[in-house]
Amino acid sequence: MSHIRKYRSLARTSLEITFVYRAGFVLNMIGTVFYVVAMFYLWQTIFLGNPGSLSGFTWPEMKAYLLVAFLLNSLLTWYDEWIMSQDIREGRVAVDLARPIDFQAARFAGAMGPVPFEFCSALAVGAIVATVFGGIALPADPVHAALFLVTCALATLVKFGIVYCVSMTAFWTTGIEGIVVSRIAIQNIFSGALIPLVFFPDVLRGIAAVLPFQAMISTPALTYLGKLDGPTTLFMIGVQAFWAIGLAIAGRLMWRRAVRAVTINGG
Amino acid sequence: MPLIEARGLTKKFRQAVKEPGLVGSLKHFFTRQYKDKLAVDHIDLSVEAGESVAYLGPNGAGKSTTIKMLTGILVPTSGSLVVDGLVPYERRQQNARKIGVVFGQRTQLWWDIPVVESFNLARDMYEIPPRRYKENLGQFTEMLGLAEFMNIPAGKISLGQRMRADLCMALLHDPKLLYLDEPTIGLDIAVKDRIRKFIRSRVEERGTTVMLTTHDLGDIEDICKRIVIIDNGKIIHDGDLAKLKDTYARDRVIHFQLARPPESIEPICAELPACELATDGLRLSVRFDRFVFAAGEIAAAVMSHVEVVDFRIDEPEVEALIRKVYLGQLSLDSPSQPAPAVVEA
Ligand SMILES: Nc1ncnc2c1ncn2[C@@H]1O[C@H](COP(=O)(O)OP(=O)(O)O)[C@@H](O)[C@H]1O
Ligand SMILES: [Mg+2]
Repeated sequence: MSHIRKYRSLARTSLEITFVYRAGFVLNMIGTVFYVVAMFYLWQTIFLGNPGSLSGFTWPEMKAYLLVAFLLNSLLTWYDEWIMSQDIREGRVAVDLARPIDFQAARFAGAMGPVPFEFCSALAVGAIVATVFGGIALPADPVHAALFLVTCALATLVKFGIVYCVSMTAFWTTGIEGIVVSRIAIQNIFSGALIPLVFFPDVLRGIAAVLPFQAMISTPALTYLGKLDGPTTLFMIGVQAFWAIGLAIAGRLMWRRAVRAVTINGG
Repeated sequence: MPLIEARGLTKKFRQAVKEPGLVGSLKHFFTRQYKDKLAVDHIDLSVEAGESVAYLGPNGAGKSTTIKMLTGILVPTSGSLVVDGLVPYERRQQNARKIGVVFGQRTQLWWDIPVVESFNLARDMYEIPPRRYKENLGQFTEMLGLAEFMNIPAGKISLGQRMRADLCMALLHDPKLLYLDEPTIGLDIAVKDRIRKFIRSRVEERGTTVMLTTHDLGDIEDICKRIVIIDNGKIIHDGDLAKLKDTYARDRVIHFQLARPPESIEPICAELPACELATDGLRLSVRFDRFVFAAGEIAAAVMSHVEVVDFRIDEPEVEALIRKVYLGQLSLDSPSQPAPAVVEA
């Protein structure tokens, strides 16, 4: 169990570094707040034209959906992917390799360190936005609230898995920026961050269903709202777990391959 | 059983063949030409526990690549490698617990947090017992003079301070083996001195095995007893530093400061056959083979003919010697070569 201690320390350090770069953190937060407020106005206009519900969403539910998306997007900001690929390109991973730590676990600890802080900040900001816009739908019951937290945790693992795998490509390519931007664009569409997946045409919904991204936002948001029946909720949680584990394994394999085949750059 | 045992250790890199500029990059994008570079070419190396080895060679010789394989960072292309009973790249973490590594060009410290917090992280990563940690940290802080910047982030301290802190960090867990890749690069004399003293104390007091790559020959004379020279990925010399000096740096020079210009140096020359004498005003220097004459004999001979005010002895220059090895003027593999022939002025 003493092994846990080193990763806990790495997580704490990562949180501390977030505080060092608090200006960046705050700016990033302000940016996402503007974005979420814009989404609110957009959807408000749509709902004004269609009073009642849209594809089963009422306006208070839609507001809750958007805020859940905001909350989850505030965790593990792409800062981590950036740093990780930078470390790879500039050969700083060599230092990590000379340490008695598991690379993936260390990066996971580093990514998770700031999460409680990110979560609380986003929760606070979300509460303010919700109040300003006249309140949101709350979870149907305590069971759904608890399940929601479970899906949030799994969503974070899935996100880490994706970010880690994308970072690993830095071993083979120098053009990681393009890959990161594409990942974010695809993720915004297929996670349901912009529009709930029920609004999608069948083909796109079919694609979303087989991609890992829906596990990141759609599943937690629908669980929060109680839109899924019991068995479906459990199934979707299973899907999240599948992606969390699958991506972790994929990341591990990529890493192993990279270390064997690719050389560590520099001095 | 040696602590480090490498047999036929080889690392081949694939390097992109790219012409300069945008056009070159475009061409490479379509043609993807590569060539193989043998950075380390079938080297055999064994290092016993407690040894201190200088690993030298010109830029690009393969020093860092070797160190990276020894530390488990790089996987060798071929050959066998065992370090303290483990194959480093297969048992990377276990190996890492037993070694300390300092890369002169790359810090292990966290850039954004105070230096002491990096040390605390080392404590947790290496699972150093608290008492041992406290002892070591106290001792190293004192020896390396870390107190003044302990609470400053690594990104805001000078290079010399950073190197000292890096060295401390690499040794907090009392590693059996210490690898140093150009530890004194870019540092001033005072800092170099401090670092060398510190490393030497580790070797002498704790019996730490040290392998050090360097450009700076001062590092070698201060720390290492054995010197291994690599060039173009191949080891071209492996041996004792003192023996190297005895074999190839036999000549010494004594410089005398005279009270008045000598009328003639002929009588001294006669007394000191096979020595080279040179005069310049009040100065007289004698180059001699230290296995033929003792320095005292030279001094006595000179003083019996002229009045000497002062004198000093030049040590054999390791630097000049090693430069000759690099330049291929000196083949260290053929000890049959007559020594004086290669030690020209
Ligand atoms: N990651 C790499 N990819 C391709 N070639 C490399 C890489 N690292 C080192 N080399 C090449 O291998 C040779 C040895 O490099 P290195 O071990 O760093 O030399 P040294 O440390 O002795 O200066 C050099 O020719 C260098 O260009
Ligand atoms: Mg080097």
